[in-house]
Amino acid sequence: MQIKNLFMFFVSLVLLELTSIASDVKDTMSFGADTYSDNANVQVYSPTFSIFKKLSNQWMVGLKMRIDAITAASISNGSNGNHVDAVTGASSNSKLFDDTRYAPTLLATYDDGDNLLSFGAYYSKEVDYDGKSLFVNYVRQLNEQNTALGIGVSQSFDKWSPIFKRNLPRDNRNEGKIDLSINQLISPILSVQAVYSHMTSQGFLSSPYHFVLQDKFAKFENYPDTRTGDAVALKGVSLLSTRNSINLSYRYYKDDWGISSHTINGEILHDVSRNFTTGLRLRYYTQTKADFVKQVGAYAVTDKYFAVDYRTSAFDSYTIGIPFIYNMRGSSKLTASVDYYQTSNNAHIKDWYGVSSIQAVFTTLTYSFDY
Amino acid sequence: MYKLILIPILFFLTACSDRLVRVMPYEKEYLAQDKMKLSPVDARAEQEGHIFLIREASAGGESAFQGGCGCR
Repeated sequence: MQIKNLFMFFVSLVLLELTSIASDVKDTMSFGADTYSDNANVQVYSPTFSIFKKLSNQWMVGLKMRIDAITAASISNGSNGNHVDAVTGASSNSKLFDDTRYAPTLLATYDDGDNLLSFGAYYSKEVDYDGKSLFVNYVRQLNEQNTALGIGVSQSFDKWSPIFKRNLPRDNRNEGKIDLSINQLISPILSVQAVYSHMTSQGFLSSPYHFVLQDKFAKFENYPDTRTGDAVALKGVSLLSTRNSINLSYRYYKDDWGISSHTINGEILHDVSRNFTTGLRLRYYTQTKADFVKQVGAYAVTDKYFAVDYRTSAFDSYTIGIPFIYNMRGSSKLTASVDYYQTSNNAHIKDWYGVSSIQAVFTTLTYSFDY
Repeated sequence: MYKLILIPILFFLTACSDRLVRVMPYEKEYLAQDKMKLSPVDARAEQEGHIFLIREASAGGESAFQGGCGCR
């Protein structure tokens, strides 16, 4: 009898332990619609869908699908309609350049409350670009879930296929990324996060369509074959009052092309009611130019590198936006956001796109629920 | 730059969180609210992560995965 009681005692202990490590994974689904529109003649309409199915108390599998319907795709990158491509003979206003990008992501997660492991594969298919990536993330909760240490690794194996006949010096673009993160609760109303990222790129790193056009010559863009960058970000969110919070973040980035940048983001959120939250976000970004980029019209035919893309030049950008969060009955949630983005005036933008700066509006709308 | 890189690594190595105030589960009411998340709108974080990658030269600093595309 004593043996039986002892056995039952241990069985109950095991069951208790199994129950205690059961995580909060749920079957969830979401539908969304994102938009992007700018003054460089790029419009993107993106329906999104995700579904996560619980396999056990800890295991879950998921599928995320994004479709980008693009009215001016990477082939023109929104170039000035009057700026007929002297190298390819192409004009950006042609319907030929419209594209649709399909980007599914398959993933699986294990979550026992203290350990969160997620891994998966990403695929992106466009008319001129195939993207394939593998990723894995692991987060370890410590100190009664006051501290979370994370590591993430991803590697892409992408390939260019320009729509006009051009023999690229290489058609691959492989990018690797390692993220180390720590989240720490400081108090019941303050949490902070630090993230370090190390990124490497190798292959054909410019656009196959961008070119330098000067009086006596035209040259396709040519960048170095490799690029290595590091980024450090510090983030914090704090409660200001029972209905208001503030979210601040700063990121420093530097790479071996000579580009460095500072990004500051701030957001205030306000609970309008028990179910509805909105606020205001502001973001400022500034970057220096790459070592090899020259001013518009200053290249010599003997130069090794040619860059016309404004992203290799020095510029600032500003973003202002409004988020909306509406918690509906049960576990349903509706989120939306509207953001306005503008770069500073830039000679490379003026030369390529025919406008002084990039001005864009992007929106999101997502409905998610448990099923 | 390298000092900044060392900060998160030192966090890992020193387990500094043991020296911080521990927030108990029953004190996490506010931390569980939407407005206290580092990314309060997931869809926006995902979309703008992609847009900023396309429109700017910098990357990283977030622990989320971003796949490649021909817009970059």
